[in-house]
Amino acid sequence: MDIQLKRGLLDVCVLAAIKDRDSYGYQMIKDMKPYIEMSESTLYTILKRLESANMLTVRTVEHNGRLRKYYHITKEGLARIDEFKNEWREVMLIYQFVSKEDKPQ
Amino acid sequence: MTKQEFLCLLRQKLSGLPEQDIEDRLTFYGEMIDDRIEEGCSEQDAVSDIGSADEIAAQIIADIPLTRLAKERLKPTRKMSTVEVVLLAIGSPLWLSLAIAAMAVVLSLYVVLWSVIVSVWAVFASFAACAVGGAVAGVVLACVGNVPSGIVLLGAGLVCAGLAILLHFGCGAATGGIVWLTKKIAFGIKKCFVRKEVAK
Repeated sequence: MDIQLKRGLLDVCVLAAIKDRDSYGYQMIKDMKPYIEMSESTLYTILKRLESANMLTVRTVEHNGRLRKYYHITKEGLARIDEFKNEWREVMLIYQFVSKEDKPQ
Repeated sequence: MTKQEFLCLLRQKLSGLPEQDIEDRLTFYGEMIDDRIEEGCSEQDAVSDIGSADEIAAQIIADIPLTRLAKERLKPTRKMSTVEVVLLAIGSPLWLSLAIAAMAVVLSLYVVLWSVIVSVWAVFASFAACAVGGAVAGVVLACVGNVPSGIVLLGAGLVCAGLAILLHFGCGAATGGIVWLTKKIAFGIKKCFVRKEVAK
């Protein structure tokens, strides 16, 4: 897959993983697993990128006597998901047009 | 391997990187391991699930921009004494030129690599141009009346077209190879920055 395309997709996947409720690293990896395999290193890089783009915020919570980081989606992050959905509606239309040629006439 | 051993190993492999980055990463991987253990994984399994420290370190180093790495390395670890500053200033014609030379070597390496690519594509372009030119000239010549020469020229044009098509695949592969090599070199340079710190 094109590297830029994949990067954009992974970003939105991570945002989607915290869309409904705040989540933490391992939970996000588990939630995404049925759809996309993401390594810890990749997730870390994406979280950093999204944080500096103000699409999510981080807070540290005490959990079972240790610290755990929870990620919270911002307005910008939610807007990015909407933007993605709109973009892909167009992409799906183009996809239908492109793959129409495959069908035997 | 226990969680502590893993994190120590990872820290060792990352030494030379900005301290804040290392701490951030270690906290992140530590949390990942703890969460797995909490879920019922044994410590050993949780660690091996994360991946090898070598792989992780390699990916982290590849992610950090070279400029950031260089800045961290060049940052003095302590304040320099007056004598050192004076010596540094006096020695500047020597070390500055050496540093510039080193950068020039790296830069020329890139230029050499990419000029190979430019030249193979240039050969491809000239073949393609010959193919078009030969075909057009051949047809024109044949129409004007010089049929044998026209056919020869057309034939030559077709041969060039064939060569151009063949060469196109070669060019694509060569470009891919050079891109890969460029990345490897960048990684190698970054590795130099990281290793020096470990040796200390």
